[in-house]
Amino acid sequence: MTDRSDAVLISQVLNGNADAYGALVARYRERYARFAVHMLGEREDAEEALQDAFVRAYRSLAQCADPARFDAWLFRILANRCRTAGARRARRSRTFVRDEVALGEASAEHPAERREWREEIHRALERLEPDQREAFLLKHVEDLSYEEMSALTGAGISALKMRVKRACERLRTLLGEVQHA
Amino acid sequence: MHDDHDELISRVVDELRAPVALDPAFDARVMAAVRRAAPGRWRLALRWWTEPRPFRLSPLTGLASAAALVGLVVLGARAFEPGQAGGAASTAPGVIVASKEGGSEVVQFVLVAPQASTVAVVGDFNDWDPDRTPLHATAGGGVWSVNLPLRPGPHQYAFVVDGKDWRPDPGAPRAVTDDFGAPNSVIIVGGKST
Repeated sequence: MTDRSDAVLISQVLNGNADAYGALVARYRERYARFAVHMLGEREDAEEALQDAFVRAYRSLAQCADPARFDAWLFRILANRCRTAGARRARRSRTFVRDEVALGEASAEHPAERREWREEIHRALERLEPDQREAFLLKHVEDLSYEEMSALTGAGISALKMRVKRACERLRTLLGEVQHA
Repeated sequence: MHDDHDELISRVVDELRAPVALDPAFDARVMAAVRRAAPGRWRLALRWWTEPRPFRLSPLTGLASAAALVGLVVLGARAFEPGQAGGAASTAPGVIVASKEGGSEVVQFVLVAPQASTVAVVGDFNDWDPDRTPLHATAGGGVWSVNLPLRPGPHQYAFVVDGKDWRPDPGAPRAVTDDFGAPNSVIIVGGKST
């Protein structure tokens, strides 16, 4: 099942085989869950955004102009969902919560230090501007080129470079304080 | 712009690249939502017919296709000439041209389906809506039919059995399909296509 290309699976889905979509969900859920968790800070919110993105993509599948690039198209939908969810949460003034599951799976070698380090990273991520957090994750964690980031976010390359630069500077400041505390 | 990827950032990135565990029921939840959002089959069929799509044809294949199309139209015209045996000889076994009515032809759609509870015909003539043209069972059951006036020209259609099972006409030639389409049957009504 996993050997079938995205384009083949999409063709099958559009031909009425909704089950073929399950292979696409299985193929991309983990990679995109990571992005959503880091953007939103809480697994529950991330799963909700990811599920929403998958369902929206399914509903609009016929509009996916290039089925071979389904992953990028889905990512764009997810990024939009994360922005919407983040804005909604900001209006609720909700506390940015760490990914408890990920924290619970911290290395057994130095669990306390590892957990603490993760908490600090998430705390620092929380304090970034949302567009800087997004740019940092896309560039350094998801390994996208600036051209891909521009296509995904709609922002210009210069603006994205500036966001990444400021995100890095802010993280250095926040996490440097922790390390030297 | 200087390289932002120093040691501290590398450590942050390493940490953030670690896999994130999802609820084990996540896939099931997504697929349940997807199935709720799944479009009906008639909508898929309508989409297949209404969405433009590119295709490539070599000049030789194009000429052959054009010749074949002309041949089909000529054969269709002959089949519906007055004096032909009911005008139905070249149509599919399940589709019989019964009579003429104004500028349209009254076409009888017939399907043998002894186990069916309901049968409907859907096509470009009724927006692929399974609720608009039900077939009626004969007294003995098993043979379903309906008479329908259709404009001259080619029409695509299929039968819907028990509200969900889409079937092309067993005896009719199928329309050309691709990866995005379901097989449907074709009838050319009248002596000339429009």
